[in-house]
Amino acid sequence: MININEWLQSNTFHHEQFSDLPQLIKAKEKQGLKISLCIPTLNEEKTIGKEVVLFKSELQDRYPLLDEIAVIDSGSTDRTLEIAASFGADVYKSAEILPVMGFKRGKGENLWKAIYQLQGDIIVYVDADIKNIHPRFVYGIVAPLIYQSEIKYVKAFYDRPLALSQGIRPTGGGRVTEILVRPLFSLFFPELTAIIQPLSGEYAVRREVLERIPFPIGYGVETSHLIDVYYEYGLEAFAQTDLDKRVHRHQETRDLGKMSFGILRTFCKRLKDRGIVANLPELTANLRQFQALDNSYEQVIHEIYEEERPPMLKIVAYREKIGIDR
Amino acid sequence: MNNIDIEKIISRVHSLPGELVPFREMLLANVVMISEIPAPTFGEQERISFLEQRFNEYGLMNCCTDEVGNAQAILPGTDNLQAILLTAHADTPFPASENHTCTVDVKKIYCPGVADNSLGLALLATLPTILEGLGIRLQSKLLLLGTSRSLDQGNQCGIRFFLTNSRYPVKSAIVVEGIPLGRLHYRSMASFGGMISCNIDRKVNHKSAIEILNQIIYQLGRLTLPVESHTDLVLGAVSGGASYKIPARHAQLKFQLRSDDDQVVIDVTGQINSMLEEMGKEQGVSLHLEDIARTQAGGLDSSHPIVAKTRQVMTALGIQPQKSIYSPIITSYVEHEIPAIGLGLTYGDNIHYGDEYIEIDPIITGIAQLIGALMAIDGACHD
Repeated sequence: MININEWLQSNTFHHEQFSDLPQLIKAKEKQGLKISLCIPTLNEEKTIGKEVVLFKSELQDRYPLLDEIAVIDSGSTDRTLEIAASFGADVYKSAEILPVMGFKRGKGENLWKAIYQLQGDIIVYVDADIKNIHPRFVYGIVAPLIYQSEIKYVKAFYDRPLALSQGIRPTGGGRVTEILVRPLFSLFFPELTAIIQPLSGEYAVRREVLERIPFPIGYGVETSHLIDVYYEYGLEAFAQTDLDKRVHRHQETRDLGKMSFGILRTFCKRLKDRGIVANLPELTANLRQFQALDNSYEQVIHEIYEEERPPMLKIVAYREKIGIDR
Repeated sequence: MNNIDIEKIISRVHSLPGELVPFREMLLANVVMISEIPAPTFGEQERISFLEQRFNEYGLMNCCTDEVGNAQAILPGTDNLQAILLTAHADTPFPASENHTCTVDVKKIYCPGVADNSLGLALLATLPTILEGLGIRLQSKLLLLGTSRSLDQGNQCGIRFFLTNSRYPVKSAIVVEGIPLGRLHYRSMASFGGMISCNIDRKVNHKSAIEILNQIIYQLGRLTLPVESHTDLVLGAVSGGASYKIPARHAQLKFQLRSDDDQVVIDVTGQINSMLEEMGKEQGVSLHLEDIARTQAGGLDSSHPIVAKTRQVMTALGIQPQKSIYSPIITSYVEHEIPAIGLGLTYGDNIHYGDEYIEIDPIITGIAQLIGALMAIDGACHD
């Protein structure tokens, strides 16, 4: 186990370290890198326009950091796609990418299909529901990959781990992180506790890594990435960048329950597959919650399947597309 | 400027909307980033810093923030013999605690302050890139100025400071406001913005300050205002009291008196002072009139070349100039005898409310109009 404090010192950054965009682009061009931005969407008409306008203007037109900006959509019924296209994003319906593999509804599905559809050597994933979007949400997490070849996977976080004058204060992931994911990591993968916000939806990853890992299509995608990349490359392959404040939709506790359930199923699958915990029973896909109506109570059952897409390198169409099987 | 020159400009103006399309996202991105930085009057520093950073990124000359918080920079011209000033105010009437999150729709951008005046400030941040992209270089140097402390009790402090202290003699000026497209302001009315405060000494008087204020409002309504000088008295805001069950000890009224005749404003303000003096004789009643802002009447005639050429540019773009020619944004220039016009960039609504918005599509026409006006003024400066 490596020293977590040392890793925090060497692999934790602040976005302001990378605000010299001309220098960043020079380094990118020197390596001949292509960078793609993927914004997974499902009914995000309130925020998608602003994200596309900002990223296109600041990180394509003004500073050519991004080679493509793509919105990959799970079937929005609002004007998400119309708005994104009107401001110049490449817009794709997830169901129409790699149709031979069918379509499954979920954010992880969009992220997985982005590997097939997009051109970049680096793919940056940014959620569409960020209210205070800013170019730093992209350059802050791409820059470590450009400047340090040994780094393969960069996560965003949104809080400062250390206070300057008032000693140390606890730093925060969200509720699911602190109540579920960090305790699980503490038990089974202690080094991964150094990732301050393991569930953040903003991360930049090298294609060579993405195409080798499976993708749960639902809530478990971020957790599974961390475990799978950690097993393959170790904590040294990770970095994280402080992006300051992130304002997004508040989720109800019941919805966080569903998220936790999905993450837990994904987590248990990995414990079983890697032989960490033997003899786990077959896990149910039913999450049971309860609601009150006057003085009576009733059970609500949610079916939450955490299906997984295989590593993209195992898909024939992808291998043909990138020329491996020729 | 002769007719051939203005014809050339008009001819170029016709093609500008098409040429400006590639710059749309860049402007909109600046609108979003500026709008989301709160900038209440006297609290504009962060927004001004952003603008200065943009000026620096473009490589403009003499980028700096002056001592009252204006961001300024110079875009050099080909001969630099004259200077044209292009300004937009940075402050908004919204407190920093207001939610400043922008929403970008296909046709509109919603955000508090987006029309007044984030769009105007964004234009300043984007214009150097646009002019370079279009291959347009003015003969005059262009002074770009994002002004601080403009609204309400700021009393246009930023622009007044700049015009009083600037090292560059300004030949003409354009004041940019977000909305409405079609605004062509070139005259300022005389005005007096005042705040009447009423305080009651509870030991000797048990009336409510609101009751006294009510009497004042009644008396103000009985003032005889000269019709021939287009004089208006606007009662803008009232506040007072602490609870529904206790007579108010304090109450305030904010108002504006405006006229196209300076002397009328002086005379009517004198009448208001006399009235307050008389009413303040009541025991335990203290009345005070405080200056919020004053402006002076004046400005350009409708036949002035800058006005006439700008109107030609607007007409060429299908923009119908509004009938109103007066605006307080011109007043600082009147005080310094600098020819100035005020222009708007697009349409919008709900100004100074949380659902304030601007329309996206007309912005291209608004920028074309502004560039055409700049070219016309540049030509007029060199006649």
